[in-house]
Amino acid sequence: MYRPRRRGRLLLLAFLALSVLVITLDFRGGDGGPLERAKEITQAIVAPIQRGVTAITRPVGNFFSSIADLANLREENGRLRNEVEELTREINQARELAKENAELREYLDLDEPWYTMDAVTAQVIADAPGNYSWAVTISRGADDGVETDMAVITAQGLVGKVINVNADEALVLLLIDPQLGVGATTGERRLLGTVSGNGEGVDLSLNYVSKSEDVVLGDNIYTSNRNRSVFPPGIPIGHVSAIGGDARDPNYQISVRPAVDFTTLNFVQVLLETGSGSKEGS
Amino acid sequence: MSVTSRSGFMSELGLARPAAVGAILVVAIALQSTVLTKVTLLGVIPQLLFVVVISLAMLEGERVGVVVGFFAGLIQDFLLPQSVTGLTALEYTFIGYVVGMIRYYLPSQSVWMPVFVVALASAFAEGTYAILAIIMGQRWVSIGYTAKVAGLVILYNTLLTPFVYPVIKRIADRVRPERVVRI
Repeated sequence: MYRPRRRGRLLLLAFLALSVLVITLDFRGGDGGPLERAKEITQAIVAPIQRGVTAITRPVGNFFSSIADLANLREENGRLRNEVEELTREINQARELAKENAELREYLDLDEPWYTMDAVTAQVIADAPGNYSWAVTISRGADDGVETDMAVITAQGLVGKVINVNADEALVLLLIDPQLGVGATTGERRLLGTVSGNGEGVDLSLNYVSKSEDVVLGDNIYTSNRNRSVFPPGIPIGHVSAIGGDARDPNYQISVRPAVDFTTLNFVQVLLETGSGSKEGS
Repeated sequence: MSVTSRSGFMSELGLARPAAVGAILVVAIALQSTVLTKVTLLGVIPQLLFVVVISLAMLEGERVGVVVGFFAGLIQDFLLPQSVTGLTALEYTFIGYVVGMIRYYLPSQSVWMPVFVVALASAFAEGTYAILAIIMGQRWVSIGYTAKVAGLVILYNTLLTPFVYPVIKRIADRVRPERVVRI
């Protein structure tokens, strides 16, 4: 009875030591180490099953949500028709402006704007399996030209950035994750502060904005390419939803409602170029 | 005489059990990162993989608990972005061992025992994870959010156990090597 238990204890000590070794390797960091390789292999093993489960379960979920929405469909149809007409008119105007813009950009020798960059569309196949980080696995990887640090967007705005790439999948850290800091501006081409997430369902924080700045409720917030940001400038992040901060604090405490709805993320686009900052070696 | 197991190519090589356990872990983490991130309890994801580790440790003992705990934790660490890699492995290894040991002192036939053990182990795991993450400098773990997550994870894990434990037990019974006979 005693021997097997002693062997159990030895096994415990061996695997605890192994865990500590993994933590040490992680802290020493660096790209392309044995841990990075192990992560890629794990991802490659789990991803096909995640794809399968998502392919089976998503239509079921969509079916139930469409039944729930049935009553609103007629009303929504009418509203959407109006919107289509309005948008068509705006598109015609925008085409003219885009032509003019392109000519001016060429004249001034500016970087390519994010909305004309090459992009690949990817499906979200899984979420991070924990409660303390927010990320998604998408169905495109290195074989499709996806690289680390590329910006991920939807039609509404910024989703996050690629932090890990496999041949066929990539891991995207979401804007709502507290670990992702994004240089932000109100639209002028300078840095205003840094946006970071507070988890799902909570507004983002816009930090380090001095009270001398002119910020009002409802202001649109965009990515900035200053301060070695990896993001191309001008991607919508959201709008200012609250401004606070006590009298002694030299900075505002600003909340930003994200432009993207992170609860219904199905398809995203990866911009196949990183912002100007990354070229400087950030 | 050595360990003999039931028929089949994999089991002849002695690989049936590791292969089955590996498959269970991969399927569990795949479900936890897809279906269960949609079927949340007030936005909180249950830790299915953890329930599997506890079930296997209760059924198979502390040595299986240690090994399964380590690899399950490592898989979870590998799939989480930028968290401290190895932290979940360390925690699950320890809990796998403790659960494997305390089963000697528990009335084994009670159907409520796995549920009770999962609830206790979840409380311990959520608490220590939060403390270790803060010590190791992981960004942003607020007390309020951590408390909410801990409470809901304990509840959700406990609710999953009556469905998960019997499935794991059936698979474990099928691939368990027959009794070791020494001559």
